[in-house]
Amino acid sequence: MPDKTLWDSCLSFFKDSLPPQQFNSWIKPLGFELKGDQITLTAPNSFTLKLIQDRFLPEITKRAEAFLSSPPCFELRIGKKAAATTVRKSPASIIDTVQPTPKVQKSQNKLNPLLSFDNFVIGKANQLAHSAAIQVAESPGTTYNPLFIYGGVGLGKTHLLQAIGNHIKHENAQAKIYYVHATNYISDVVRAFQTKKFDEFKQLYNSLDLLLIDDIQFIADKPGTQQEFFYTLNSLIDGHKQVVITCDTFPKEISGMTPRLTSRFSWGLTVAIEPPGLEMRVAILLQKASLSNNPISEDVAFFIAKHVRSNIRELEGALKRVDAYSRFHKRAISVELAKEALKDLLASQNKQVSIENIQKTVADFYRIKVIDLLSKKRTRVIARPRQIAMCLARELTQLSLPEIGAAFGDRDHTTVMYACKTIENLRNTDTAFNANFNLLNQTLRN
Amino acid sequence: MTQLLLNITPDWAPTLDNFVAGRNVELLSALRHALAGTANERCFYLWGEAGSGKSHLLQAAVQQARALGQTAAYARSTVPDAAQVIAVDDVETLGDAAQVALFDLYNRLRESGGMLLVSGTAAPAHLHLRDDLRTRLGWGLVYQVHGLSDEEKAQALERHAQARGFVLPHEVTQYLLRHGRRDLPSLVALLDALDAHCLRLKRGASVPLLKEVMQLNREHV
Repeated sequence: MPDKTLWDSCLSFFKDSLPPQQFNSWIKPLGFELKGDQITLTAPNSFTLKLIQDRFLPEITKRAEAFLSSPPCFELRIGKKAAATTVRKSPASIIDTVQPTPKVQKSQNKLNPLLSFDNFVIGKANQLAHSAAIQVAESPGTTYNPLFIYGGVGLGKTHLLQAIGNHIKHENAQAKIYYVHATNYISDVVRAFQTKKFDEFKQLYNSLDLLLIDDIQFIADKPGTQQEFFYTLNSLIDGHKQVVITCDTFPKEISGMTPRLTSRFSWGLTVAIEPPGLEMRVAILLQKASLSNNPISEDVAFFIAKHVRSNIRELEGALKRVDAYSRFHKRAISVELAKEALKDLLASQNKQVSIENIQKTVADFYRIKVIDLLSKKRTRVIARPRQIAMCLARELTQLSLPEIGAAFGDRDHTTVMYACKTIENLRNTDTAFNANFNLLNQTLRN
Repeated sequence: MTQLLLNITPDWAPTLDNFVAGRNVELLSALRHALAGTANERCFYLWGEAGSGKSHLLQAAVQQARALGQTAAYARSTVPDAAQVIAVDDVETLGDAAQVALFDLYNRLRESGGMLLVSGTAAPAHLHLRDDLRTRLGWGLVYQVHGLSDEEKAQALERHAQARGFVLPHEVTQYLLRHGRRDLPSLVALLDALDAHCLRLKRGASVPLLKEVMQLNREHV
């Protein structure tokens, strides 16, 4: 039977049964090819492909079965009519996925293969966490158990967590790995409680080879869930099964968490991920851009990284915006274009971080007066916060060093340089000081 | 004796087509692409001043998604149930529990390839929300929705009048822009009141009638 006839019949069916807008958007752009009992459908993008698979494939299958002598074998591709990426092949797998999908699928609690060690950008801020993650991935359950990774939002904790899972899965396809966000863990506990299926719940968690639990701070103030997690954690660690936990803060500082749990968190290794420095932000941007077909130069990466400093998510968001702007205006990405694309974002940032804002925040933090920061006093309690404020002003504003010096009681620019150097040394040697500096930095940026 | 009005004013619903884009052409195009499935990024955060058109765009996107056969939901100050396209207006008004719900929804939609549109009055970095939610909102495509210039507002008002079936004389538009509030929703509300007043009096729109409507509005306030 000529393939035209089969496809024409499908087209005329969909044309009659669907509103024109839907027909033109989803069905018309499809490529169709029939070879023997092999039907190849080519969709212009993954979104259309998924929609076709979910909504229209049963009808196409029905019509194909009427036309062909044997059951049809489908191949769904992304691309332009002919050569493209094959997505699925066997008819069985297609039929399996054809059932009506829920409006939005429930969180799959599964690994995202795109988050691997290969595309994790390493820098000073995450070096330790990365090494620990590699060690755990290479010998799970034996080195650091649990591995507790903490750090601010959008700094790559989930990426590292998923990378461990993907690495272990690659090494041992049989390993039972479960990635779960803490909110979903809570839902699991509640569901088990409501349906009285605690045995199944325990069996599921206790049989794992690797449990990756994200954002554990969400179970704070939930004693029932904490108790369940305590048992799960003990059981897995006793059985030498690896547990990796992420959190937004140091274990002891999670409020609303039972002490016996926080002490368990510290049994293995606790590592921090800090906000990335400029060079690392540039590296991240270059790496992200290399994955798209609209690469950026180092100049552009440097420009974006210099202006978007808060966290990696917003950095990525800024890159997407530049990419969208470039595609819309059909212009290649340059520093000039990036400036135009991020104009609104940068204007909104500059509004907030002023030198007065920095001085007030630092003075409040160290419980001194702003006027002291600007005075000639040189006692340690005043001078250190002043140096911190100067250093933050250099990092967070576009002011020149003489301007910063002038804003701090008419000081010389060399005083600002000295302050920045002192603070840098202190950050490298004193962990508590570094944590305070990061806190102030994040507060001001946000 | 006052002429009573039949409640048969033509239905007006926000759509992508009746949005006067002004400086938001790129945003409009990005939304159309995302809805048609021809763009990769499907999470949008729109921010801008009140009256700049955020709610219009969110409602229009939901309407367009439904026309394309997808399930879609729009909500303000709350997080709707699951759908393929979800719009959450005024994110800053969400309470603690709703913020957790939106965080969870964000993760689920990102996994399932659904589309999420969220609006607020400030750029993501300046939102007073949970950190994990705030940073996620900044992860997708972020656009500032720019309010219209006076010329664009005049154009929008004339279009709106046309949709309601009456002609808006140039001098009425100019008077409205000079003396009315500056935001488009207030101007449109005034225009609707003017239309109703004109119908009651069986007269065409004019500056004296507009003055009467504005006077009546002031008395009501």
